[in-house]
Amino acid sequence: MPTLPPTQPTECEVDVDVQSGADGHARVALKGRLSSRTVVNCWNKLEQSFRGATIKTLEVDVSGVDFCGGAGFALLRYLNEGRMTPGAKVSVVGLVAGFQTIFEGFTAQDYEAFHPQPQKQRHPLVEEAGHATRQILGDFRDQLEFLGGVAANLPPSLVNPKRMRWPEVRHVFELAGANAVPIVSLVSLLLGFIIAFESAQRLAEFGAQIYVANTITIVMVREMGPLMTAILLAGRSASAFAAEIGTMKVNEELNALETLGLSPVRFLVVPRLVAGILVAPLLTCYSILMGVGGGALVMLGLGFSLMLILHQMATSVHLEDLAVGISKGVVFGIIVSGVGCWRGLQTEQGPSAVGLSTTRAVVTSLLLIIVADACFSTISYFLK
Amino acid sequence: MMNEPDDIVISVKNLSIGYGERVILEKINFDVRRGEVFVILGESGCGKSTLMKTMIGLYPPQSGEVWIEGGNLVAAEGDERLRLLRKFGVMYQSGALFGSMTVLENVRLPLDEFTELPEPLKELVSLAKLKLVGLGSASNKMPSELSGGMQKRAAIARAMVMDPGILFLDEPSAGLDPITSAGIDLLVSGLARHFGITFVIVSHELASIYAVADRVIMVDCQSKGIIAQGKAAELRDGATDPWVHRFFNREADASHTIQPT
Repeated sequence: MPTLPPTQPTECEVDVDVQSGADGHARVALKGRLSSRTVVNCWNKLEQSFRGATIKTLEVDVSGVDFCGGAGFALLRYLNEGRMTPGAKVSVVGLVAGFQTIFEGFTAQDYEAFHPQPQKQRHPLVEEAGHATRQILGDFRDQLEFLGGVAANLPPSLVNPKRMRWPEVRHVFELAGANAVPIVSLVSLLLGFIIAFESAQRLAEFGAQIYVANTITIVMVREMGPLMTAILLAGRSASAFAAEIGTMKVNEELNALETLGLSPVRFLVVPRLVAGILVAPLLTCYSILMGVGGGALVMLGLGFSLMLILHQMATSVHLEDLAVGISKGVVFGIIVSGVGCWRGLQTEQGPSAVGLSTTRAVVTSLLLIIVADACFSTISYFLK
Repeated sequence: MMNEPDDIVISVKNLSIGYGERVILEKINFDVRRGEVFVILGESGCGKSTLMKTMIGLYPPQSGEVWIEGGNLVAAEGDERLRLLRKFGVMYQSGALFGSMTVLENVRLPLDEFTELPEPLKELVSLAKLKLVGLGSASNKMPSELSGGMQKRAAIARAMVMDPGILFLDEPSAGLDPITSAGIDLLVSGLARHFGITFVIVSHELASIYAVADRVIMVDCQSKGIIAQGKAAELRDGATDPWVHRFFNREADASHTIQPT
């Protein structure tokens, strides 16, 4: 095959000369460079010339073309197949030997064979429902497998502490717990402020602003402390666990663990689960303190003495309220760390897989936290 | 603008590269001629890929210049930098295809972004490039459905869709079986011979180097420079430097191996 001139850096306009006769014969002479830039003008001129014209035969003379890039060949192929002049017999003449070889390297048959076919129609409703059901059942089976794996690996690690990867537990505890202290402080303090201000406005109508202390304490201890901590943990830690384990799965690190004879559940999930169970109640207690502190600051601002506020707070909350709040913390901790790890282990291949797992971890955690919270409220109502 | 002989398309002048204070290669100089297949080789971790990424403007050098078709890419900014970036295409080691797009969409992306070509021509150009690399029938597949060799071919099609005069390939044969690797070598030779494309290839696959390279340079992390340059076969047969000799003749460093009993 001949050697073609290399791509030249300079650009100049292409000259397009269109001649058409009354007999339906047309001739196009192209001169200059057919590059991706000049071809646009060329296309526009040709389309304008052929619009409304009845052309039976078309001759495209490219003997004056001194450079022809990919776009130039595409234009010639488009013209040659008569797609701009339907029904016309088209011939391309004057191609130098090298250009001719490239031009013939991509034919109309190639286009027919290679161009993307239209997308398949959407699945019928029944089929879609079947797919969705199958996915839900598969998800349920994965959950059971995961819970089975945890049940098989967690107790031995607790019974025999040497089996536990304590450095990993410490590391996760620091990331999920200590590093979350600033955000938990800010959110809980402001939450205490908000609840105190809102309730103070309403209770002022009855001259009962002193009960703001009772309200804020009971709300923070039983509900908002555990719930806000869990939401923050879901956003920070469940997503981090899913992304970390998901990336390890994509990089085949989980396969490496399996073939080394190490269970990914024992190696990765159990330390995170233990750290989550330890960190969530502690952060919950801290969140309660910060929230109550925020409420106390508002009360001080309203003119109540510190002793009175503390007295009201102490008398409004009982040990069982505290037990409910801390129990919620433990359960929410299990949900957040368990779901984060489970979604991470479910990660599939592909560029968006880790992102998808992270999103699923957060959404599933939040959903289960709310469901668990509702269960707590119902049970404690009937036990009272 | 710089006055260079017409056949020199890339000129690397006094280039020093590294990370932070650490110098990997120091004050190296070489030229790449139009239409040649130029291979940068060296042992693993000696800075071959870093050198290539500096040449294509991804990493700033510690000092020195990289002239591409008469423009200094290191100093170029704004439109001038964009103009120089259009002079070449790059194939990364992993292919770096966009996973959320089909192969055809990957290839036509530069046409969509940088040209005003009519839709039918964009499709024709992209399909023709895919056929050129032997992937015409894979146009509607997702990158994840392709083998490693096919992904590299698709990446070459994307790199050349704007008709650049220069193609940079980072480890085109790495991780491929000998047959697929030979197929890539044939593709490179064919594109260089028939389309006059200049290739700058980073590789340490000896079989590929012998098959495609017109000229090679060998970089070395000990001397932080170029320790050999010329034709691969000549270096294999006539290198006086023991390290170069060992490299081209695939001889192990005895101090780094367990001796058989």
